[in-house]
Amino acid sequence: MPRFDYVRAGSIAEALQLLGDPALVSRPLAGGTDVLVYVRHEKSPFDRLVDISRVPEMKLIERLGDEVVVGASVTYTEAAESPVLQEFGCLMEACLSIGGPAIRNAGTLGGNVANAAACADSLPALVCLDAVAHLASLTGRRSLLVSELITGANRTGIQKGELLTHFTFPVLPAGARSAFTKLGRRNAQAISRLSMAAAGRIDAHGCVDFVRLSPGAATPQPRRFTEVEALLLGQEPTDELLAAAGKKTAEVMIGITGRRWSTQYKEVAIQALAERTLRRALC
Amino acid sequence: MRIEFRLNNKLVAVDAPPDITLLDLLRDYLDLTGAKEGCAVGECGACSVIMDGRLVNSCLVLAPQAAGSEIVTIEGIHAPDGGPNDMQENFITYGAVQCGICIPGMVMAGEALLSQTLNPSREEIRVALAGNLCRCTGYQQIVDAIEATAAQRRAVRQ
Repeated sequence: MPRFDYVRAGSIAEALQLLGDPALVSRPLAGGTDVLVYVRHEKSPFDRLVDISRVPEMKLIERLGDEVVVGASVTYTEAAESPVLQEFGCLMEACLSIGGPAIRNAGTLGGNVANAAACADSLPALVCLDAVAHLASLTGRRSLLVSELITGANRTGIQKGELLTHFTFPVLPAGARSAFTKLGRRNAQAISRLSMAAAGRIDAHGCVDFVRLSPGAATPQPRRFTEVEALLLGQEPTDELLAAAGKKTAEVMIGITGRRWSTQYKEVAIQALAERTLRRALC
Repeated sequence: MRIEFRLNNKLVAVDAPPDITLLDLLRDYLDLTGAKEGCAVGECGACSVIMDGRLVNSCLVLAPQAAGSEIVTIEGIHAPDGGPNDMQENFITYGAVQCGICIPGMVMAGEALLSQTLNPSREEIRVALAGNLCRCTGYQQIVDAIEATAAQRRAVRQ
């Protein structure tokens, strides 16, 4: 007796019908890189997997004016190879830091966000880009910031019958750059100990006129560290200022998490990570 | 359920439960035991196959997800006479095989890379193999074998 059934959705409408069927507990299946590991170890709390990995509308990557649209079933490899996404360094670098080629060929951005591991590498990049998650269900649609969708480690606000269909984010101001840095045991196939996404721009006077900073694996909910951004805005990005920004990043993290067993390490590491990532985005 | 797909250039149709992995489908239902189960969680690459032109871990693909796809396993990689192809010959020549359990995955990763470029740098070869673990060779000989295969295929093409 199979533990669960499988059905492939051909469109978002079909996926919503299948996910919204009250007779069965259904869950979406995209790249499988989390779900297949999960069903190997746990008794599956669902009757059916709805395969959304080939839904054409969920594979789109396009630029509409000043907004970028990325489907939830876009794999990390497809994102990294997309001409539209090349200018978003933080997202490119985050996608290319995940797993190895085989994982990147299967795993999807929607899956990374919906699984919501605290160490998920696309989260800091998407939060840094102010990405909005778009959810659909049989009863309607809603949109919220990725940072608001994630409610804790492996927890999201996605309701039963709801499907994360795509993300949108505004393009960065002209001339702005972004970067992502990851700290793991090795370069590939590594779970992030900490990660960091930053975006920024320097004006004609040599001062920061745009900056965003979003650490990964640092806090239960990903968020922009606006406290650090405020410290940098309007200032010249000197070594001293970037060091101060690193210190402030650690302070904000500890303010949220308190002092935990890992803090002795993370306090020092996140300072260096923030400093270096900001340097790559700003200098 | 009935799962139909192209496997090593032949159409196959197989009845299997919907809750097994592509790796189990290949090994237990199609008797293709070239892909190995190492870690079963996508960390070691011993189960690597090429699905629709891309390297994937068959332990992380649900068997029915293969329906309608084109899958190439290590059994589909060989010379026209059925013997080892140029890359497999190079694995032997360069001493890239010791215990051998990772080798089907290593060859698939190498073939996936060379299907995209015949001019990879050593660094690109290392990145292409980043999801494939080998506990014997130290990797250098595997990188050498793939590098040599790329050079030979470039020469043949010219």
